[in-house]
Amino acid sequence: MTETIGIWIAAFLTLCMFSFLYKDNPFYKFAEHLFVGVSMGYYIPYTYYNAFIPYAYEPLFLKKEYILIIPFIIGFLYWFRFSSKYSWVSRYPIAFSMGMVGMGVPMNMHANVLVQMRTMMLPLNSINIILIFVGTISILLYFFFSKAHKGVYGKFTSIGVWFMMVGFGASFGYTVMARISLLIGRIQFLLGDWLGLIK
Amino acid sequence: MKFADRIQKVDRRIIYVILLLAVVLPLVFRLGFKTYTTTPVEDLYRHIDAAAGRDDMSILMDFTHDPGVLPELYPMDLAILRHCFERNIKVFTISFLPQGAAIIQMALSEVKEDYPNIEANVDYCNFGFKPWSLKLPIMLGMGDDIAEAVETNSEGLKLENLPIMQNMKNYDNIQVVVEISGSSMGQFWVTYARAKFGVDVAVGLTAVMAADVYPFLQTGQFIGSLGGLKGAAEYEQLVDIFAMNGEEFSKKKARNMSWVEAQYKELPELAQLYKYSKARIGMDAQAIVHVLIIIFIILGNIGYFLDKREQKKNM
Amino acid sequence: MKRQIPLMIVLILGLLFVAHVFIPNKLSSDYLDWFMKWMKVIGPFAIVLGVFSLVYVHYNKIKRKAPTWGYSIVTLTALVVTTAVGFIWGIQEGTPYMWIFKNFNVPLGATMFSLLAFYIASAAYKAFRARSIEATVLLVAAIIVMLGRVSIGQAITHWIPDITEWILNVPNLAAKRGIALGVGLGMTATSLKIMLGIERSYLGGKD
Repeated sequence: MTETIGIWIAAFLTLCMFSFLYKDNPFYKFAEHLFVGVSMGYYIPYTYYNAFIPYAYEPLFLKKEYILIIPFIIGFLYWFRFSSKYSWVSRYPIAFSMGMVGMGVPMNMHANVLVQMRTMMLPLNSINIILIFVGTISILLYFFFSKAHKGVYGKFTSIGVWFMMVGFGASFGYTVMARISLLIGRIQFLLGDWLGLIK
Repeated sequence: MKFADRIQKVDRRIIYVILLLAVVLPLVFRLGFKTYTTTPVEDLYRHIDAAAGRDDMSILMDFTHDPGVLPELYPMDLAILRHCFERNIKVFTISFLPQGAAIIQMALSEVKEDYPNIEANVDYCNFGFKPWSLKLPIMLGMGDDIAEAVETNSEGLKLENLPIMQNMKNYDNIQVVVEISGSSMGQFWVTYARAKFGVDVAVGLTAVMAADVYPFLQTGQFIGSLGGLKGAAEYEQLVDIFAMNGEEFSKKKARNMSWVEAQYKELPELAQLYKYSKARIGMDAQAIVHVLIIIFIILGNIGYFLDKREQKKNM
Repeated sequence: MKRQIPLMIVLILGLLFVAHVFIPNKLSSDYLDWFMKWMKVIGPFAIVLGVFSLVYVHYNKIKRKAPTWGYSIVTLTALVVTTAVGFIWGIQEGTPYMWIFKNFNVPLGATMFSLLAFYIASAAYKAFRARSIEATVLLVAAIIVMLGRVSIGQAITHWIPDITEWILNVPNLAAKRGIALGVGLGMTATSLKIMLGIERSYLGGKD
């Protein structure tokens, strides 16, 4: 019974959302605002049960690790964000969590730059590897603005544009696919779970 | 009104109705197109399958996605879980989004109802939701000790006391981290967990992101990827034709369409459930709509060029 | 006090993390353990910020009787009810909390994004024009990928999926690698700027 009621509610809300295709209307607005409220309703209980209790409450109050009172207080300082006079206090917990960027400097360089460059330095023994090499270099040079894109250099950088257009085309093709998939999912719900036309 | 004008000025609502029909009709009158599998999906399947029957190896699924991308990613969630439960592969699940944690619960209960012998905290363990701000501490902490970094499962039980954790210590016991998301979260796993501890990482992505991962597939930073509904459909097919039929994975067989068709005829009842073939059924509609969109692009351009020629004539 | 000390904290912790990456010994591993333990206590408090901000915005709308303030009541009620249900009946599978998730959150979220399918179809008809050779290349690549990813492409000729694979693995890979290298360098530079206190907008405020 509760399942059937749930499916009917879900179908109604789905149709409320789709009504926006005709034009903006109160049903859509209602559904949109409901969505925001319900979505945020998952933050506090999940954080409380899955993070606050095991990571803050239990160690401090049950295991009596009193040193953790310091990060507990630092965490509380976040809430000063809402005070116009003392909002600067909230910078302390923010600064503490931002400390991890130090790790990002070498790690990003390694994972996103050096490893990529190393793979580019493969022996140029096939047409595809040569094409990847030429394409990547020409794109990088295209974004190098300290030298005018003229003459042979300009022609070489324009090769980069062609590679990028094919890359963007591939992304575009995939984007179309993504959007259609989302619609298919909802129609599968309406026709299958709600109307029972697909089994 | 001239032909060029008429083409150019079609009401958007007509386009919407045509699109809707192109989605609805193939879903109701099933076309039964067979999908073909691609290397990144096959690689992920093979990699996960290598942990079959092992007590000291598991896969870690990170569900950092919300309902907005569910139609694309949920079939992946179900297909990978089904693969693991069918082949006796241990699974850990985690999410850094609260809605993602709810999706884990949904997916686990949906697959578990078909596998009554699978036990929570023995065959799989749901770590539940962890706040976004803790993703790096947890990601790095798991390199030393998973139980110490995560501490409790979604029900608040200490990981160190759970049976599944008896032979699991750190990333050495993780066959592959599968990040299923609509964002670049997989990149975090590569940048930190893979770079520092060498754990294998794979991604299940929305199609929007799918083309972006190819440089990372070539470097081996991602050992495999599932791109959108097509990736999910491929994985569903691999689970059916290999895991459900008790066949060992073979790339050659996976690409042999007549062998694949024969395998479909021998599927057990469980594999024929609608919920386990949603992505493949969806791909029927996807195929029709792609053709429709291509026709739209061509028609729109015909109108544009006719209009341009007309304007040139009048000048 | 207001700005300099937080910036110093970022710099010192940041430098220690750089050292942690390059010097793997007991001291640096203890530092990571200490940071993790403290961060796990601090982290959960940050979640409340997002929820409070939402409450603050909608509460003010209702208080000022701003246009469409009635919908703000819907948002706040939904937030309060969902949160209360989570605390009263718990958050496990089979609870009313999960029922709300399946029957409210999932259809609303999934349908909202599915609307984009209609807009992209309309845009395909009305906006995607081969205005230049570059745009034509983009459209042709897109059409091949669209056909190559579905079974119809395979049914026409096996060349379509083969060319799609080639596009993705060669020109697309080169393009995305060029961009990825730029993004990687940008991320490294931004991390460095934050650590050194050059980029400080994340702290907010003026003074």
